[in-house]
Amino acid sequence: MEMMFFRMSLVAYFVSTAGYIISISVGRVRVAKVSMWAFSLAFALHSIYVVIQWIGAESVPSADIYGSLSFIAWAVSGAYLAFQTKTKTRVLGAFVSPAVLVMMIAASAGLVDGASIPSAMRGDWVPVHVVLLLTGGALFALACLAGMMYLLQDNLIKGKNVSGFSGLLPSLQDLDRINHICIVWGFPLLTFGIIAGSIWARTIWGNSWHWDPKLIFTAISWLIYAILIHQRIAMGWKGRKAALLSIIAFAGLLFTFVGVNIIFVTMHNF
Amino acid sequence: MSITLLGINHRSAPLNIRERLSISCGEEEKTLAQLKDIPHAGEVMYLSTCNRFEVLVNTKSGDAIEEDLKAFIISQGNLSPEEMGKCLYLYRDEDAVRHLFRVASSLDSMIMGEPQILGQVKDAYRLCVRQKTSGVILNRLLHHAFSVAKRVRTETSIANNAVSVSYAAVKLAKKIFGELDRKTVLLVGAGEMAQLAAKHLMDNGVNRIIFSNRTYGNAVKLANDFHGFPVEFELLEEKLGDVDIVISSTGSSDCIISVDMVATALRRRKNRLMFLIDVAVPRDIDPAAGKIDNVYLYNINDLQGVVDENMEGRLNEAKKAEAIIDEEVARFSGWFAALEVVPTIVELKNKTEGIVKGEMEKSHSWMKDLDGEQNENIKILVNSIVNKILHDPVVGLKKEGRNGEAGPYLAVVKKLFRLE
Repeated sequence: MEMMFFRMSLVAYFVSTAGYIISISVGRVRVAKVSMWAFSLAFALHSIYVVIQWIGAESVPSADIYGSLSFIAWAVSGAYLAFQTKTKTRVLGAFVSPAVLVMMIAASAGLVDGASIPSAMRGDWVPVHVVLLLTGGALFALACLAGMMYLLQDNLIKGKNVSGFSGLLPSLQDLDRINHICIVWGFPLLTFGIIAGSIWARTIWGNSWHWDPKLIFTAISWLIYAILIHQRIAMGWKGRKAALLSIIAFAGLLFTFVGVNIIFVTMHNF
Repeated sequence: MSITLLGINHRSAPLNIRERLSISCGEEEKTLAQLKDIPHAGEVMYLSTCNRFEVLVNTKSGDAIEEDLKAFIISQGNLSPEEMGKCLYLYRDEDAVRHLFRVASSLDSMIMGEPQILGQVKDAYRLCVRQKTSGVILNRLLHHAFSVAKRVRTETSIANNAVSVSYAAVKLAKKIFGELDRKTVLLVGAGEMAQLAAKHLMDNGVNRIIFSNRTYGNAVKLANDFHGFPVEFELLEEKLGDVDIVISSTGSSDCIISVDMVATALRRRKNRLMFLIDVAVPRDIDPAAGKIDNVYLYNINDLQGVVDENMEGRLNEAKKAEAIIDEEVARFSGWFAALEVVPTIVELKNKTEGIVKGEMEKSHSWMKDLDGEQNENIKILVNSIVNKILHDPVVGLKKEGRNGEAGPYLAVVKKLFRLE
């Protein structure tokens, strides 16, 4: 039953993405407004899916990579919509919407009604671990998108090429602020998510830390974000460098999340 | 009934003629009253801006009024008929409508897409309404013109990009900082363009502005004019760390703001973004400063380049706007042409109503025996038969009217029904 909502939201995300692409190519704000409503609808449908699936699975919102992708897409959408109401950066949707759509399509490849959950993932700490990490990941994804848009806008302005596409992007300061807020909020989520995971690991694996590729790469990603936050707050990093590092950090996180499972053998294969 | 538009603008007339035709403040109502006094003028309106003077009338007397209108304009500007003859343009009906739509949409402006003209047209119309010189046709025409202008504005990006150097600077500042309130501007030197840019920035939210000048007195004077703060030229380097936007326009022959100064300032302001605008020739700010991260440097050529590109973009958008205007002119003309058939339809209805009334009176002798309800029913029956019979001819006339081909049909209807 929940898959019906998932598919409906997938369609709505598709409509909104198409709308954003059209609005960018013809340069019409009105189309982007419609896309925003399509996107909100998609998020609402997606929320229904997440809730039903969560209740059905009894503890974990995302048992595998597909469920995680769907959850991240959901969190990214929610975080974006929250930003949308606070700042008037409608064009961010033109970047968020396609990213969410890609995640949703990938997720749709493996999602089924009433999926079963491996035994290692049945426990009180697991939902805490998963939800914190995925929400943190979603915020970092937004930070990465804002960072990419920042670099784009920065290049356009430095290259004195400001009469076309640049007009559709938000101002540098707004993008930098979005990047900053997402990282400052994402980092504690990531940190507590890791701690929750290690508490659970102690319960089932007997030890809170293993020299496992997934855990090592997680630590590396965490370290990059820690450096980024330090540079931003203590060293006054702003703008280009911060944007660049937030993209690199997210690439690391993405590799930890998806790449490690493909390349290495890991005990944390979910 | 015909719409006539007569006028001059920046393309048809030199400045000295336009100057003489500008209506001085307080004279507006008198001018409109004079225009209204022209015999057979009907509905009248005039538009006077620094770049144009136009009169718009809806008259029943046809072409006869044109000479009077010309005489009116000549007397307003105290011109010779020869001078005037070279500058005047005249549009009738559909062409007049198109011209008005183009003016309101800022397609006919000296700087295409500039936003003031719509406000000026609205003011001119408001005066007409106040003085009651407009009627059904002009009211409809002007409201249509306002909606066309709005459509052009929302459906094309004709007015989106800056086409003056100082405004381009404001747009760039917004691209970098978003909102400009709480930003500080430093103006070095007293160049005219720099002052204009500063004024634009203040109109767009900047509320703190610092002036620096080699001659301190000049800085103080400017600071008074703009409600800003003067600062000694020697403190320039120190102040640089406190400002977000720098506009430099000194007559100095070498750079007065070096890369090192900018780099130091940036460190002091913890890498917060800086926007440097160098409108001086030769340049005031070392071009290498633009290579520093988080520093954006535009010189006068860069800004002019932005303006040129924007102007090109506007010309492309103008094509879309012309298409919108064609469409709207056709819509208005359809409505206008349909008006032609209205008097005939009214006469036709009056005639049939008269017949019904007369026949009812003739039948009064036997109808008085019926009760109230039966009387009512007979009236309803008769009226509905008449209306049914008239329905198709009336709809047909209106349709031909919209196509502008009602003439022969009107003649036939008038002849057959002996209207007149």
